[in-house]
Amino acid sequence: MDLRRPGRAARWLGTAALISFGSLTSANAAGCDVANTLDVASLIPPGIVGSGPFGEAPSTIDSVKLTDAQAEQARAGKFKVGVVMQTMDIDWSKLVVAGITDTLGKYGAELVGVTNPSFQVDKQIAQIGDMIQLKPQAIISIPVDNTATAAAYKTISDAGIKLILMHQVPQGLKYPDDYQAVISPDNRGNGQVAAQILAAHIPDGGVVGIVDFGVDFFTTNERTRQVRAWFEKNRPDVTLKQVDFVDTTKAGDVAANFLTANPDVSGLFVVWDAPAMQVASALRAQGKDLPVVTIDLGIEAGIELASCGLIKGIAAQQPYDQGVAEAEAALQTLLGNQPPPWIVLPAVPVLPSNLTESYRQVFHEDPPEELVSACVADTGCK
Amino acid sequence: MTSDVAAGPPRSAADVLRSTLLSGRMLYVAFVALIVIFAIASPVFLTTENFANVGRQTALVSIMAVGMTLVIISGEFDLSVGSVMALAGVAAALAMQGLGDVWIVGAVVAIATGAAVGLVNGLLTTLLSIPSFLITLGSLSIARGLALLVTGTRPINIVDESYYRIFGEGYVLGVPVPIVWTIVVALAGIVLLHFSTFGRKIYATGGNATAARYTGINTRRVKTICLVIAGTLAGLAALVLTARSHAARPDAGAGIELDVIAAVILGGAALSGGRGTVIGALIGSLMIGILNNGLNLVGVDPSLQLAVKGLIIWFAVALGKR
Amino acid sequence: MDGIATTLRARAFSAEGLLVGALVALVVFFSIASPVFLTLGNLENIGRQTALVSIIAVGMTFVIVSGEFDLSVGSTLALAGVISAIAMKEIAQYAAIGALAGLATGAAVGLLNGILTTRLRIPSFLITLGSLSIARGIVMLITDTRPVVITNRSYFAIFGEGHFLGVPTPIVWTVVVILGGIIALHFTGFGRAVYAAGGNPTAARYSGIPVIRVKVISLTLAGFLAGLAGLVLSARAHAARPDVGAGLELDAITAVILGGAALSGGRGTVIGTLIGSLIIGILGNGLVLIGVDPSIQIIVKGLIIWLSVSMSRG
Repeated sequence: MDLRRPGRAARWLGTAALISFGSLTSANAAGCDVANTLDVASLIPPGIVGSGPFGEAPSTIDSVKLTDAQAEQARAGKFKVGVVMQTMDIDWSKLVVAGITDTLGKYGAELVGVTNPSFQVDKQIAQIGDMIQLKPQAIISIPVDNTATAAAYKTISDAGIKLILMHQVPQGLKYPDDYQAVISPDNRGNGQVAAQILAAHIPDGGVVGIVDFGVDFFTTNERTRQVRAWFEKNRPDVTLKQVDFVDTTKAGDVAANFLTANPDVSGLFVVWDAPAMQVASALRAQGKDLPVVTIDLGIEAGIELASCGLIKGIAAQQPYDQGVAEAEAALQTLLGNQPPPWIVLPAVPVLPSNLTESYRQVFHEDPPEELVSACVADTGCK
Repeated sequence: MTSDVAAGPPRSAADVLRSTLLSGRMLYVAFVALIVIFAIASPVFLTTENFANVGRQTALVSIMAVGMTLVIISGEFDLSVGSVMALAGVAAALAMQGLGDVWIVGAVVAIATGAAVGLVNGLLTTLLSIPSFLITLGSLSIARGLALLVTGTRPINIVDESYYRIFGEGYVLGVPVPIVWTIVVALAGIVLLHFSTFGRKIYATGGNATAARYTGINTRRVKTICLVIAGTLAGLAALVLTARSHAARPDAGAGIELDVIAAVILGGAALSGGRGTVIGALIGSLMIGILNNGLNLVGVDPSLQLAVKGLIIWFAVALGKR
Repeated sequence: MDGIATTLRARAFSAEGLLVGALVALVVFFSIASPVFLTLGNLENIGRQTALVSIIAVGMTFVIVSGEFDLSVGSTLALAGVISAIAMKEIAQYAAIGALAGLATGAAVGLLNGILTTRLRIPSFLITLGSLSIARGIVMLITDTRPVVITNRSYFAIFGEGHFLGVPTPIVWTVVVILGGIIALHFTGFGRAVYAAGGNPTAARYSGIPVIRVKVISLTLAGFLAGLAGLVLSARAHAARPDVGAGLELDAITAVILGGAALSGGRGTVIGTLIGSLIIGILGNGLVLIGVDPSIQIIVKGLIIWLSVSMSRG
């Protein structure tokens, strides 16, 4: 496993070269071999993997598209909509809000405000209060959790405001009285896509390390659960080991220590892209070349994938399109039309072979120059 | 900068400003200025509803800031209040689940948990003569870890309706209970600190501990009691938070200690002890709360909000300094 | 004067002696509990993982000894990393340009903290609480919350992933900073002025020590070293992320206070700080190695803080 690494003793004793660098990243040059044998189409789960919070059947985002006549009506309505996020400090949230903003603008609706509770329940409760003061006709929101924010979310319908949720439903809220739709990525589907990509890199009887978030959180739970379920069903030969991080700034350290204690690990699943990049940097520092698969296409993870580095594949969400669907669902509700309860966007498998296309699909903009230039000719990156 | 301008040429208006400044009242001026700015910028800011809203939002920080004021005046520090709030909330929720869904059970357990952690903080700090900064940094970790451990990191539901009403969602004479609790705690704090012998002992302990000891004040006991009060009030804050959210989360309140300390210092307390008032801390807490509320109402971009919040902290302390 | 210095030094060393005892006890415990703990690879692990806190904590030692406080280092680290990455992207792909831009950014934030604190005579706690918010907000704004990718290989090598005499560069930088800190704080006139400024500023002023300048320089140094930490982190990650470094200030302050510094100023040593940082780092490393549940890890971290401070001061 460690063959490419210069002998440790030799390095410590090395007197000839004062600085030796660059050897670690080149260790990954052959990284695309397996990934290039995978067929993107075959990785897409047939249909949605997860079901709704109350077992509802999934609907597609087409179910809330506005017809020309509805678009006219919406423009005439000059609606006011507010957004309460879980955080605004990550790319995902920015893309969702961009989708919402663009769509509301297109239909002449006003976005009265976007709030950022930085994942803190008490702040989100406060900001729901702030948002109600602004008297929007609808609020689009992602709950930080589904227990402790429930009472605050109840006050939205009590104030006569429509509610479009993302990902999960706070406890006790009823469709269609308390909320009018949930728009969600297929979290389990994302887990399944990630598991399938990773499995291709894991030898018979190998060990997969799962690097999970140590705090009970709906989205990450769903992803990890499906990764486990998929391996247990389809690759029973593989042993699953897990390590959790609680401090999101320490995922790299935690993974480095876990790998030191578990040298038999032959590949890693990291529950989202930012900690995955910390894990990649820890692997480089240790001179280890292990395949890493994660969820969410961020620019850093995309470049690592393009250059055939440690990231071998990504299961992506479509946050911009999710934002579009949320805004459309809000407008439909305000027009008096009832959207279905559970609207799901499927997982997008991202490999070197469909990277730039996936980037456009996720970000709704052209990939940046760094990503394009990271696609080296012989990697099969497109 | 601003204070230099205010204290500039000897005109009568400037003299008024100057005397206000010298008497340390510029904080109130800054506070009013902030309200005026937001009142102009947002039509909904000055509504009764929004006042109730701000009062509810600042209740946690205000309640804990009263305890922190005592601790800081006594020359100590409490970094653990956020974790203690989480632990007390979790303990209350688990107790109600295990012992019976009666609000009094949750209330007693939360308050007792807070007071117990405060007592440990106080005893370790004073008996071992270790800076409370380090002791409470340790308890910050321990309380948070305990809260995560006993819940398995999951939120715990609370189902008792009267618990919701008494601590989170009810009204007294039309005033939301979180605000009522804030007022009760603030009044008690004012009486204790400014109208009792014990209050004078706190100032003496933080102002000059050696001198205080010579005049027969048991500074260890004073400091311990202050830390116990801070813990107890973190327990009360836990009740308000969990009653509003109908659940207790083990990760609640992370980082809130910085807001609490900022409120107290903004209110004119000295980090080195011996100086500070309850009213100042409340104004400090309200300023931070109004800032968060107003920036949201005006619809400022969240990234920009962070920068603006920092600038206003600079501005407010520059105005409010003595 | 010399007599006082010797007594002080003796006291510091005895407290440090106990702290070293705590460190050794931890090392012995984890060596027994985990077979991989004492391997070269894992020691490098610990060195890399403590590099950021150690580098920042050296600057924090100067600040705390001088009687001030810096809460903004985590945000400064993020800002410096991002400015460095943007400078290389926009101006030219030279590691020197990135380094210069990052270090200058860090020093500028520190200078601003210092000037505002001393000129307005406002507690540095509040000034740096403001700059914590401002620097983070600026980072989020200029990056639009997206990471800025770095492609410069020599930058990676110099600050993050290369080796010097076989030692990983993050560890090399830590050693350089520690040695520089020891010399500046314990063997120069400036170092004596830092102790005097924090120990008794009035007396220091009367004896002709420029207290204000000493505090400004200390805060500038803290910002500069936060900038260096930003370079190390971004070079390891191949990108500068706007959200890094949150909460790092508490780790750095803990390391300094654990190392024997007084929050009220006038006391503390660089070596003590290093030991404090290593205790925290070894704890984080060892507990994961032996597979302790993360919730229990947090509890144990708190208990060890209690234990080591009571050992060294009880």
